[in-house]
Amino acid sequence: MPFIMILYYIICVYLISMVVWNFIREKKNPEYFFHYLLVLIPLILRVLRVK
Amino acid sequence: MSREWMIKIVLIVLLAAGTTLAGIQLFRQRHFDVPMVAGPGVTRTAKLSDYSPGLKGTMADTTVFFLEGNEEGGKALIMANTHSNEPASLLAALIFLENAVVEKGTLIIIPQFNNSGGRNTRPGDGYPLYFEIPTDWGSKKFRLGNRDASPLDQWPDPDVYIHYPDKQLLSFIDVRNTNRTWPGRADGPLMEQVTFGAMEIMRQENVDIAFDIHGAETMFPVTNCIVAPEKSARMATMASLTVKAREGFDNHVEPSPSGFRGLSHREIGDYSDTLPFLLEAPIPFLDQPTGPKTEKFLLDGKDPFLLKLAKAKMLFVPYDESGWPMDKRVGQHCSVVLEIMRQYSRKKPERAIEVSHVPRYAQVVQNGTGSYYHDPSKADPDKVFLN
Amino acid sequence: MNVSEKRFLDYPEIQYVKWGQVENMYAQIGIIAFVMVIAYTVAKWKKLSVETSMFAAALAGGIAGAFVKTPPIGQLARHMVEGAFTYLDVMLVFSTATIFMAVISEFGGVDYVVRGTIKTFYNKRILALLILMFIILIPGALTGAGSVSVLVVGAPTVMALRYLGIPEKKVAAILFIVAGLSAAAPPVNIWAMMLCAGTAIPYVGFELPLAVPVLLLGTFTMLFLGWKREEKKELADILNQMPEVPKKMSWWRIALPFFVFFGLVAAVRIWPFSLPIIGLPLQFMVATLAAFLVSPKKVNLLVISRDTIKRLLPLLTTIVVVGMLQQVMTATGVRGLISFAVISTPLVLLFISLAIIIPFSEGVLTYGAAAIIGIPLIWFLDSIGFHATVAIAGLTLLWPLGDGLPPTALIGRLSVMVSEHKGSYWSFLKNTWVPWIVITITGILMVVFSSKLEFLVRWSM
Repeated sequence: MPFIMILYYIICVYLISMVVWNFIREKKNPEYFFHYLLVLIPLILRVLRVK
Repeated sequence: MSREWMIKIVLIVLLAAGTTLAGIQLFRQRHFDVPMVAGPGVTRTAKLSDYSPGLKGTMADTTVFFLEGNEEGGKALIMANTHSNEPASLLAALIFLENAVVEKGTLIIIPQFNNSGGRNTRPGDGYPLYFEIPTDWGSKKFRLGNRDASPLDQWPDPDVYIHYPDKQLLSFIDVRNTNRTWPGRADGPLMEQVTFGAMEIMRQENVDIAFDIHGAETMFPVTNCIVAPEKSARMATMASLTVKAREGFDNHVEPSPSGFRGLSHREIGDYSDTLPFLLEAPIPFLDQPTGPKTEKFLLDGKDPFLLKLAKAKMLFVPYDESGWPMDKRVGQHCSVVLEIMRQYSRKKPERAIEVSHVPRYAQVVQNGTGSYYHDPSKADPDKVFLN
Repeated sequence: MNVSEKRFLDYPEIQYVKWGQVENMYAQIGIIAFVMVIAYTVAKWKKLSVETSMFAAALAGGIAGAFVKTPPIGQLARHMVEGAFTYLDVMLVFSTATIFMAVISEFGGVDYVVRGTIKTFYNKRILALLILMFIILIPGALTGAGSVSVLVVGAPTVMALRYLGIPEKKVAAILFIVAGLSAAAPPVNIWAMMLCAGTAIPYVGFELPLAVPVLLLGTFTMLFLGWKREEKKELADILNQMPEVPKKMSWWRIALPFFVFFGLVAAVRIWPFSLPIIGLPLQFMVATLAAFLVSPKKVNLLVISRDTIKRLLPLLTTIVVVGMLQQVMTATGVRGLISFAVISTPLVLLFISLAIIIPFSEGVLTYGAAAIIGIPLIWFLDSIGFHATVAIAGLTLLWPLGDGLPPTALIGRLSVMVSEHKGSYWSFLKNTWVPWIVITITGILMVVFSSKLEFLVRWSM
């Protein structure tokens, strides 16, 4: 895998960790729980090299 | 457990279930291999990476089939699935691969030219993942791929694609489009390496004529035609007139614009001695104003919206209740390829390419595309190639 | 009977396929579209957010479609998830660009730039306005994304405009309109590029057809909304009111991260065949690291990133959901019906209705709208003698306006967020109406008189 592509996977993992961090910290709004999870879908499947 | 975490866990479970199901379907599509049975004419195979080493070990590598005649002659190259959402190209190339017998010269076939694109899907466009072609022994299943290579194989996209070597600015998405990355580079982005591999085949093997087979929307002016640069135009015109007169279908000639870079019909001619021809057959499935994108629509090309637009004279092809069935499109491609090879052989007898056992338009329409495919489960395993 | 005929007979009969009866298809797709609208309305009525309501519309549309196997129910999850990928790269650009600006802002860079601009240009108002216009135009013109303009230079320009005595509601309007124009400005106009890619028209000759209207309309917008100094303040008072900047702050500390970013963008253009493709997200990340390293005070990159993602959540969710919506609309035929309806409209009516169709389609589908409506429209206009390049340029002036319209309102919401506009969204949008209409008329006239304006294309080449 080219070096720059690896960096993009690292960017994705970084963003995933930020989203998950916010998801855990979010206490009140159930809609936000849902939104964080929706945002995770493409990021996680990309990191898993599914799509 | 707190209420907060109860809600979170329920949401995680629901979304994870849906995502896992979808993920498995998408993963399987990417890794689904289409068996191709090498016909009696196939004498050897190679990989595209043999000509463009950077492709080795990537999903962009693909099989190249050589059908060499007993007698020396010219060479023709057929490339299909440059855009993997235009599948009549692949189906026509497989008819050649599984049936053709070459008496004179050599036929080189790359049935899945943009292999990465064939293993990609098109987000936002709601395609089915597969389509099936009925055969005498059951149905043959194919992936329905995308116009562009998968970002799993080539990522990231630039903010704008700068075409090599002309520096023309193209859409960022075209960096993954193997009909914009010609003539390519050995060390460029992966799709430039794909087109470079094909250029190398043409240069190293002294290919005389090259076919890049496509499909185009009925609302697109450049459809149902042969696109040819100046050096191929005469031969294309002869072929167009002949199929019209002898076989009764239209396939006009469109000039290859010299100001639009990266296309096969432009760059192949400019960067090698090969004469390029890009074949377009109508594919209503790709038009925007249509009903749902179903497998049936992909195959029969029937759409009431397009019918209404045809009556308002907004389509560039004749269109009636019979739609534009796949067999018709595949048959056209077979006939046009055969006819251009015949025209070339007449003009340059010492470089003739003589091919038999390939059906023409009327036969494909009458018998169905699938009747020309062989059952891989009954074929000699050495002759079955997965791609 | 040949095998193909056998095959088609084997298909389960789908209700709408009563060949030739267009009305059946209309009715079926119309019902699905109606279900989507109802789902959206009910969700909004239940006080759910725009994003959740759009998700509800997509899901409901998919389920309604599944009754007639468009799409089959077993494929619904796949369509939703696949759709979520439509704008993944845009999501990465948004996230990384905002993290970059958040770091600059955190170390006091924004305050420092605004202080400098106000000090120098306070008494040269027109010059100040035009300089600020160029500052907003450049990032969007280079990247093709108006959102990048808002995210990268929005905060300092907003502050500068505020200190020039422009009320906050007009500031948000200026930012939105000019950032929208920046997306249409050459060299990178993503709508035009997508249309060119879809219509097989080369992306050449767009420089003047895009630059001339963008500069004229941008100047008009700046002067119209920013001419009047509505809140007179003394320069000394303004400078006193401004936030303190860290003592070690200097111009080079701010310039360097931007230099790194624009340097990378420029380098890839200047040496396209020597450098690898880096892509905007990585360019922003490298610039973020540069900003982090030259920061005059200690900044916590992790906390800034976390808070940025939290702030961006509505937009990131919108990008994901709009892809899902687009995919379901195509799989069910709703998208095709919209496209069909647009291009079936009589020509004169079509030109007039472009004013509404184009922005609203962008509001619902963002870039997807260019493909659905733009591609067949350009083919059609081209075939009846309009000049495709100028017509595309004209249309692409209208699309950015849609980025202010719900449900997505991407640039509009970013503008409101960055300018910290306190009133309702509509109160912000109301302030854009004059430039909005002028831009609309300009865009439509460019389409209508595209053949007469063909010289702009010639002069560009």
